[in-house]
Amino acid sequence: MIFTSSYLLSLTTFIYLGAAVLYLIAWVFRVDKVGILGTCATVIGFLAQTAGILLRWMESYQMGYGHAPLSNLYESLVFFSWMTILVYLFLEFRLKNRVIGVFSTPFASLAMAYASFSPNVNDEIQPLIPALKSNWLIAHVVTCFLGYSSFAIACGMGLMYLIKSKDYTTGLLSRLPSQKNLNELMHQTIFFGFLWLSVGIITGAVWANEAWGTYWSWDPKETWSLITWFVYAIALHARFVRGWMGKKIAYLSIIGFVSVIFTYFGVNFLLSGLHSYGAPR
Amino acid sequence: MTIPTSSHSVSGNAKKSFWHILTSVRLAISLFILLAATSIIGTLIPQGESLHLYLEKYGPTMFQVIKVARLYDMYNSWWFIALLLLFAVNLVACTINRFPIISQLYKKDTSLQSVERLLKMPHLLVLSLSSIASFPEEDVKKILSTHVRSYDVENGRLFFNESGKWSYWGVYILHTSILIILAGALIGAIWGFKGQIMLAEGEKVSEAVERFTGKDFPLGFELYCEKFFVDFYDTGAPKEFRSDLVIFENGKEVLRKSIRVNEPLSYHGLTFYQSSYDAIPLITFTITSADGKKKVLNMPVSEKVSWQEAGLSLGVMQFLPNIHGNQAAHIWIGDDGFPPDAIWFLKGVEKEFRRGNNIYKASITNVEQHYMTGLQVKKDPGVWVVWLGCAGMLLGFGVVFWIAHRRIWLWVGERNGQPTLILAGRTNKNNMQFERVFDEMEQKIRTMTGVKI
Repeated sequence: MIFTSSYLLSLTTFIYLGAAVLYLIAWVFRVDKVGILGTCATVIGFLAQTAGILLRWMESYQMGYGHAPLSNLYESLVFFSWMTILVYLFLEFRLKNRVIGVFSTPFASLAMAYASFSPNVNDEIQPLIPALKSNWLIAHVVTCFLGYSSFAIACGMGLMYLIKSKDYTTGLLSRLPSQKNLNELMHQTIFFGFLWLSVGIITGAVWANEAWGTYWSWDPKETWSLITWFVYAIALHARFVRGWMGKKIAYLSIIGFVSVIFTYFGVNFLLSGLHSYGAPR
Repeated sequence: MTIPTSSHSVSGNAKKSFWHILTSVRLAISLFILLAATSIIGTLIPQGESLHLYLEKYGPTMFQVIKVARLYDMYNSWWFIALLLLFAVNLVACTINRFPIISQLYKKDTSLQSVERLLKMPHLLVLSLSSIASFPEEDVKKILSTHVRSYDVENGRLFFNESGKWSYWGVYILHTSILIILAGALIGAIWGFKGQIMLAEGEKVSEAVERFTGKDFPLGFELYCEKFFVDFYDTGAPKEFRSDLVIFENGKEVLRKSIRVNEPLSYHGLTFYQSSYDAIPLITFTITSADGKKKVLNMPVSEKVSWQEAGLSLGVMQFLPNIHGNQAAHIWIGDDGFPPDAIWFLKGVEKEFRRGNNIYKASITNVEQHYMTGLQVKKDPGVWVVWLGCAGMLLGFGVVFWIAHRRIWLWVGERNGQPTLILAGRTNKNNMQFERVFDEMEQKIRTMTGVKI
């Protein structure tokens, strides 16, 4: 039974949770070896998840539907989690700092837990409805989620920044990246996310124009993605032009992610519109 | 950056402070917040419903607010459009205002720097050399690049290389692209057209209905729907909606295409999208009179059909596709001088009815589904402008995100009597990447000069 997609995918919930715990232990007790274990766990989880996603893709072909696993809430949560880990691993590799893992892997684990165990989320492979039958599906979802995942990690960095209200020389908090580095990283991650959110909105517009004849129709999902876009635009302009740093940007990063969460879930649960196939059940 | 608030301003001052407000980032950020906040309203209040629904849902007081502020069609309301326009004006003003600054930044030559200044650069390497000759100019070119400027300066020689200076204009590409997108939207709003067509299989139209005004819009050609298909998965979810369309011009067939959701048809600047459908049953009704005369009538819903010999007219008032597993129709009978009547028929079940002295036996012998396809029609001359703006935006992002203005100085000379090499660098973004480039240079220099740490 191990080699079915849903088994593999629900397994990754625990692997990422384990990784988060290992990163936490490594941080709190200053044991680098445990940190390495954390990285191993994250990589293993990532590989298992990748295999799960590919299997699900194949299974959809076996069922005669044949589509990329990006078509409903369950699949999007899995993909969000996968993308978050991808962005995180890239950052860990680049920065050689595992503390960010404490603040990133929980997002991935939470998303997987919600996808796998919430009664609201249906994990069946469903056929593609006509509106989703387009090559733009993959481009649109991948770019949007690159944005969402980057914002999740930027939010984690914002939290780190606020926890570390000044540069400590000893103790737990001294092992967080320096405030200067966090500031820079947060800014770069927000900018990276902003770039992909913009590409996501553009691919969505091109697709909407092809499917419905309007590139923008003020549908709640579109509108909320624009609201999110404005929040991050504020963060970027405040820094570029007015020199905002640190705490203010950290708060904006968290507010921005709340807006992302609302764009992602709130719109599906509370408002109706064109993106209703992302809704639970 | 602060906005002057002096109250004793003469008109020139007022003009100046008005311009100041227009070009301020404070205005830009306020507009971001305002646009974001007001956009939320439109996602909470359903848009484009008929007005009495708002009255029912929100009560008379809120209804007045909704009506006056046009919250039922918020994104097209005058005040929201005004906000968007102000946003565009702010963007243009900022662009004009910052032009000299960026231009100066771009033109400014920063190649010549004193040793003291070099020593304060964020990226720095200072090496003691055995002699100045141990680091010849060819080596400099190997490290910096062949595009090197050099100067004779205090006790030594200064080499300079820079790249990506033009990236200061990246922000301009980005901001201009947003203006282009807004312009495209404006073009679409002025010269574009959005409409709908409901077209039954086997029918032709030469007009579409404008979506907001309900007026007819001539297509300039004829559109014919040959067939409409709808297909479902086993789960009951829709699999495919397809209309086989043919375009006729001056009575001649010019184009034939099957359209689906995501696969529209374009002709002469108009694009047709599959947007909805309607099923219309065609009922075959067989009547036999008492004297054995038999008539087969094909009756679409809501159309009167006559049986002239008997002087009867019949029509389907209502069709129900599933009454305990059978199809049923409510059929109207009249026009023969007697009071009209309406009788329910189940498919395949014969029933008798009486008109005056005549007794008829009748039944529904067949029901065929005929379809009407719902098409969205669009003409938008601004859409390519919007795509141009989007492409510009991506390009702008690429430049702003990845291209940095990198400057590297290399000074070789005598410092306090000691032959010294100074490598100094500065970048306006992506410090970490630059650090790696700088480290590589450092390694090269160390191997060339043989100076270890």
